[in-house]
Amino acid sequence: MTASSTKYIISAMLDKLCNSHLHGKKEVLRLSVIALLAGGHILIEDLPGLGKTTIALALAGITNLTFGRVQCTSDLLPSDITGLSIFNRDEGRFTFLSGPIFNNIILLDEINRAMPRTQSAMLEAMEERRVTVEGTTHLLPDPFMVFATQNPSDQSGTFPLPESQLDRFLLCTGIGYPPEHLEKEIIMGGGIREKISSIKPMATATDILAARRAVAEEIYLSEKVVAYIYTLIAATRNHLQIQTGLSTRAAINLAQAAKAAAFLEGRDFVAPEDVKGVAVAVCSHRLILRPEYETAHRGELLRTIIADIPLPLA
Amino acid sequence: MNLLLANIIASLSYAIALCGIVPLFPWLTTTPRLAIMAGMAAGIWQNFRGNWPTKNWAYNAAIVPVFLYYSLQYSRANPIQPVVSVLAIMLAIRLGGEKSGRYYLQIQALSLFCLASSSLFDLSPAFLIYLALMLLMVAVELVLLTFYSQDSSMVLSRADLRRVVAAGLFMPLASLPLLVILFPILPRTQLPLWNFLSPAIARTSGIADKVEPGSSANIGETPVLAFRAEMPHQPQATLYWRGTVFNKIVGNRWVRDEMMPFERINSTGPQVTQSIYPEPSLSRTLIALDAPTAISLRRIRRTSDNTYILLGSATKRLSYKAESSTVGILPVANNFKHDFYLQLPADIPPRIRRLADGIQRQGHSDARRIELLEQYFRNGNYRYSLHDLPTGDHALEKFLFDKKQGHCEFFASSFALVLRAAGVPARLVGGYLGGDYNEMGGYYLITEDKAHVWVEVFIAGKGWMRIDPSGFAVNAGAIWGGAPKHNLFRKMQLALDSLNHVWNRAIISYDFESQVDAVRRAGKSLKKLDPGIALKIVWPVVILFAVLIAAFFIIVNRNNLQWPSREERLLRKFYHRLENDCGIKAKRNRQGLYELAAISNNEKVREFVDMYGGVVYRDRKLSADEYKRLKRKLKDGFDKTFQ
Repeated sequence: MTASSTKYIISAMLDKLCNSHLHGKKEVLRLSVIALLAGGHILIEDLPGLGKTTIALALAGITNLTFGRVQCTSDLLPSDITGLSIFNRDEGRFTFLSGPIFNNIILLDEINRAMPRTQSAMLEAMEERRVTVEGTTHLLPDPFMVFATQNPSDQSGTFPLPESQLDRFLLCTGIGYPPEHLEKEIIMGGGIREKISSIKPMATATDILAARRAVAEEIYLSEKVVAYIYTLIAATRNHLQIQTGLSTRAAINLAQAAKAAAFLEGRDFVAPEDVKGVAVAVCSHRLILRPEYETAHRGELLRTIIADIPLPLA
Repeated sequence: MNLLLANIIASLSYAIALCGIVPLFPWLTTTPRLAIMAGMAAGIWQNFRGNWPTKNWAYNAAIVPVFLYYSLQYSRANPIQPVVSVLAIMLAIRLGGEKSGRYYLQIQALSLFCLASSSLFDLSPAFLIYLALMLLMVAVELVLLTFYSQDSSMVLSRADLRRVVAAGLFMPLASLPLLVILFPILPRTQLPLWNFLSPAIARTSGIADKVEPGSSANIGETPVLAFRAEMPHQPQATLYWRGTVFNKIVGNRWVRDEMMPFERINSTGPQVTQSIYPEPSLSRTLIALDAPTAISLRRIRRTSDNTYILLGSATKRLSYKAESSTVGILPVANNFKHDFYLQLPADIPPRIRRLADGIQRQGHSDARRIELLEQYFRNGNYRYSLHDLPTGDHALEKFLFDKKQGHCEFFASSFALVLRAAGVPARLVGGYLGGDYNEMGGYYLITEDKAHVWVEVFIAGKGWMRIDPSGFAVNAGAIWGGAPKHNLFRKMQLALDSLNHVWNRAIISYDFESQVDAVRRAGKSLKKLDPGIALKIVWPVVILFAVLIAAFFIIVNRNNLQWPSREERLLRKFYHRLENDCGIKAKRNRQGLYELAAISNNEKVREFVDMYGGVVYRDRKLSADEYKRLKRKLKDGFDKTFQ
């Protein structure tokens, strides 16, 4: 399978999702596909009822990937996610019952409601792509992608994710309300949860894996763009309002996401716009602001920083 | 490569001290000379080892006795040497001791004082070179010292050092325009203040106010400059520079009697014009090529024996124009009292008397008698020499009959004495003989060791005829034969001397009068100038100047002023096209090309951007073909209607 044909499949899939199923969610869908192609995870931060779950379901449906869902609560245990061994009386031994995490796409709903112990177990699985239960290591399926959501307005009974764990999400984005005419259409048509189950898959896990390989190996990242990425992270490290700037992992992730974005644009090289287009989603949740500026909007801050950096054009 | 700041400052300090001390060194006495050499050597050695065993308070204490000793030496007769010596020794002590920032500043100041005090002794153009060197180094060191006072162990990279040196050099250069303004205003001396009046450099040879052969057995010769004469090249044999005339014999001496009879000199024939630049001296006699017919200088007196005397004393460097007729005869128009030039001392030695009587008897005319005496000298096997000279009361007699060797004074005095005794009017002329022609400067260089005395005899109907009895010596040809040979060293000396001459003319003897004169002359020639020709002359100068300025700016800003690359040129045109054809005013450097292509929603723009971005963001350079194609796309424009 050639890179251009995978690219074609993925683009067609994205277009179909945007135009036929999920109106007005183009940016979130794009970012979700980028996370999928870059092999990262996505954290969606927005109010309930804006279609977070629908997006995850639709993505799983159209890519023909298995889907698992965990609704996080404060009494959720790690074994509820990873699975557990149960004594099989017929065979006279313990057999492992895999939890929801053994799916290609797993939706962790309201992740900030889970207690830190569970959060860290999940996030470890995200990073390692395997879980160890009772001494046995189980590999997670490939591709594997976490679709976490959290409600930023909920404060009571939540355990905000620590910075080190936020850093594991490749992207973090909101959804936002759809434009007026789209929202009216949605109201008219009613929910689409039922329709989603009937989405015809357009790609397979093999296609996704081929696309991932193409993104990692075939997209050229020029020195100019690397310099641009470096200037960007250096700017966040020297910024007055920011206490801790972007880490090297952030820069690596930015490059990965930019490659995936370039792939979606049909280029085999990264343009500075690709970096610009994913920078806010990749970077804003990793910034730690100074206490006196904590209320500032990180996305806006990052946008002003980016606006000040000249693009490499020649 | 990184350099320790302290080492740079130390090296600069030693170089500055050298600039101060080298010009002063020849005028110092032995003790300060030794002290400065020892101080310099000790300082460099200790710097090299990085170990300073003697503490600075010991050095400071050592200055006190030195100061006391020299303050006792100070007197009105000897005001300069003690001061200069103390200066030099203080500098030596500072150089020898361990140095902090303050001590480096003291070394700078002391070095500057040393250099300044050297101008009391000598005003040579070398002073300017030393001063310029020193000021440049002082400026750089001052900048470095500000760093040094912050962090004495600082290490400078070569690039940093270059920037500091550039900043340091800029300060003295920036003051150059000020120099141009101050130069005409500030007072200056045309003579070294101290050395000129000092008896220390008494003349060993040169022209004097008397001729007294036999006063010493040996004559030292110093090639000290006497004067320069700007003029065309002349035959070496005519280079007799006339100074003064000695017309009276008193005992063994020939002296000048101002009460000479009146003669009217009537010069004819070709004239040679000279500009004479004498070195400052106490002598008031003006020198010119024999025989001068006119000297253009104010406040001078011409005596009837054709010598020129300055009235009053020279307060500044002199320069004057002289006209001379070089035929060797000074025609006298009137009948004057010859007896004045026949006076003899009372006691002429009998041998001389006999010789004179014999010549008087044999010759029937003055001309014949001169010829006879010349033959006597030529056949007498006389030698020209500066050593082993006859001395005493009867020196001339011994010269003529016994030793038969002596210098020009012996030849000339005895020749003139015998002639007078034989009844021919004769007198001595003091001046210079010969000179080195400096082709580069177009002038003759006459040193004090070229001082000469010759004889003028009066022949009725002709006038005063120049005779050089020294030329009758058997070794005369070896001494004066031909022009001096110019080897490479001599040529270099002459080149240096022409620099010195220019310095004296342009800087030392510059005064307000000459400035006004220069302006007036420039105004006059400007009036005469044809504007067309003027433009022709001025244009190349203006263009050259503009080119130089442009080159300077390009060199200074060469990092910012790079010729735009192909990519930059394309980009510039792209923005231009985008604005004209799509009405999109791009925010340069803030909007990506693909972003613009998306905004324009124009297929042609997208094509261009795809092609361009595919090269640029793959870290390739545009090939000539791609460049051509991109240029073609831009030329065709992005206008949708012409698709």
